[in-house]
Amino acid sequence: MATRPKTLLERHYALLGLALIAPTVLVFCAVIVYPLISAIYLSLFSIFTPTLEGEWVGLANYRELLTSGDFWSALRVNLIWTIGTLTLQIVAGVGMALILHQNIWFRSLARSLILFPYFVSTVVAVLVWKWLFNDLYGILNHLMMTAGIIDWPIDYLGMMPNALISVILVGAWKYFPFVVIAVLARLQTIPDALYEAARIDGAGPVARFFDVTLPQLRDVLVVIIMLRAIWDFKEFDLIFLLTGGGPVNSTETLPLLVYKEAFALNQMGMASAYAVVMMLIMLVFMILYVRRTRSVDGA
Amino acid sequence: MIRKIAFNLFAWALVLAVAFPLFWMLVTSVKPQFELFRRPPTILPETWTFEHYIGLLKETNFLNYFWNSIILSTTTTLIVVAIATIGAYSLVRFKYRGRETLAFLVLFTYLLPSVVLILPLYLMLVQLGLSNTITSLVIAYTTFALPYALWLLRSFMAGIPEDLESAALVDGATRLGAFRDVILPQLLPGIISTALFTFILSWNEYLFALVLVNSDEARPLTTGVMNMLVSSFNIEWSLLMAASVMMSVPLIIVFAFLQSYLTRGFGAGGVKG
Repeated sequence: MATRPKTLLERHYALLGLALIAPTVLVFCAVIVYPLISAIYLSLFSIFTPTLEGEWVGLANYRELLTSGDFWSALRVNLIWTIGTLTLQIVAGVGMALILHQNIWFRSLARSLILFPYFVSTVVAVLVWKWLFNDLYGILNHLMMTAGIIDWPIDYLGMMPNALISVILVGAWKYFPFVVIAVLARLQTIPDALYEAARIDGAGPVARFFDVTLPQLRDVLVVIIMLRAIWDFKEFDLIFLLTGGGPVNSTETLPLLVYKEAFALNQMGMASAYAVVMMLIMLVFMILYVRRTRSVDGA
Repeated sequence: MIRKIAFNLFAWALVLAVAFPLFWMLVTSVKPQFELFRRPPTILPETWTFEHYIGLLKETNFLNYFWNSIILSTTTTLIVVAIATIGAYSLVRFKYRGRETLAFLVLFTYLLPSVVLILPLYLMLVQLGLSNTITSLVIAYTTFALPYALWLLRSFMAGIPEDLESAALVDGATRLGAFRDVILPQLLPGIISTALFTFILSWNEYLFALVLVNSDEARPLTTGVMNMLVSSFNIEWSLLMAASVMMSVPLIIVFAFLQSYLTRGFGAGGVKG
């Protein structure tokens, strides 16, 4: 088809197509491509944030970053947070989706209630959880003490390892509904005939889950895991608002470190270097996801 | 039968446990301050009061922040959805060089962390003299909202049968005429979904608002309400819970009337396995 000369109409259409995409391209260049390139450029300078004046330092920021403990500690926390919260999200999400797939009472109300944490602002979620976690008057300590699980009120956010565990749990609570909805949509397309066949073969509920449901869910789960891994890895609001990276820096992930370098330590260049390295790490996941989506699209 | 009831009770116990923090937010917001410190805590308020809501509206900057958030989110949504609708039409239905690369770039930016863009954007907006304005936030919000909206609308657009458009063209409609009369009505549910998602994303955004705006005139709800927590000497939890409830009002409206559009958006948002 490439050899056929283009007709006038086709050429006209191609121009129209370009005109329609032009606003998108312009905005993309201005607010995404240009900042992305300047982020890399900035990372080669040492810039004092309040005056925005700086000098060329080349790769010194990167050298300092890789030899400083901050980066490695933040990366470690970042990975623990991502893996921890993602695992909980997947397990809770698949479990809840299986439950909501059954014909329970007031199913649509139950689904709305489950969905709500995902859409509620992180600020709201954090305020509510801070109140639940409150050491003196929080309901959580009260319930746990009444149930006899703990003898003394717990400091949920001010001590380690509690702080990291709390952050992971709140993250799971906030984001597992995403998994629920995505899995639920897939569950509804599994043909009943597959379950019938398994039942005739004498498979119990557990065997049916592992032999029928799970293989059918495999593809959607891979996509969900990649997407959520990317989003959890770059999460800023939830961790920043809950603990601010503390106590000391034990819940400080890479995005928080970028913010701290830029606006608390006033090292804009160094912060850019952190951001660029963080993006490089994420690039691995991003390329995996993009490649997969493209192959699904093409099929 | 008994198994069915037991399963239902079990399922609802889990659902209520997940929803409990939100229930507790509502309950706390209508309790008088002294009742918060009761041991054991009262599950339902003994005395109902709306004094925190009245105080929030009268004595704090809440309404000002609320109004800023409305303007900010509406403007962002209108601009982004308009650009993304014609952009998605072009990406799906036209053939030109670089189209595939562009689609790939959109998906890539959809996953990009804000933290990478925020430092250069901050510098750019300071140099343009736009810092501390709602405009600066609208510009910053397009960085995440536009790729998102484009990606969503692209899948919705792909779901519209091409025959419809071809039929209109055979009948003598121009390309843009066919877009207006055939594609747009078909795409409307998708546009509504995308607009709702974009609005909610902008409404909830925190990081850009934190970095770019440092004055009460332009501050949206997210950073505004957080400031109320940080700046108060002794924390008034009932007031903060009332603020949280009020902040979720647009969301509650969407949930009550337009929830099907939200779930539809999920299916289109790249999670088609």
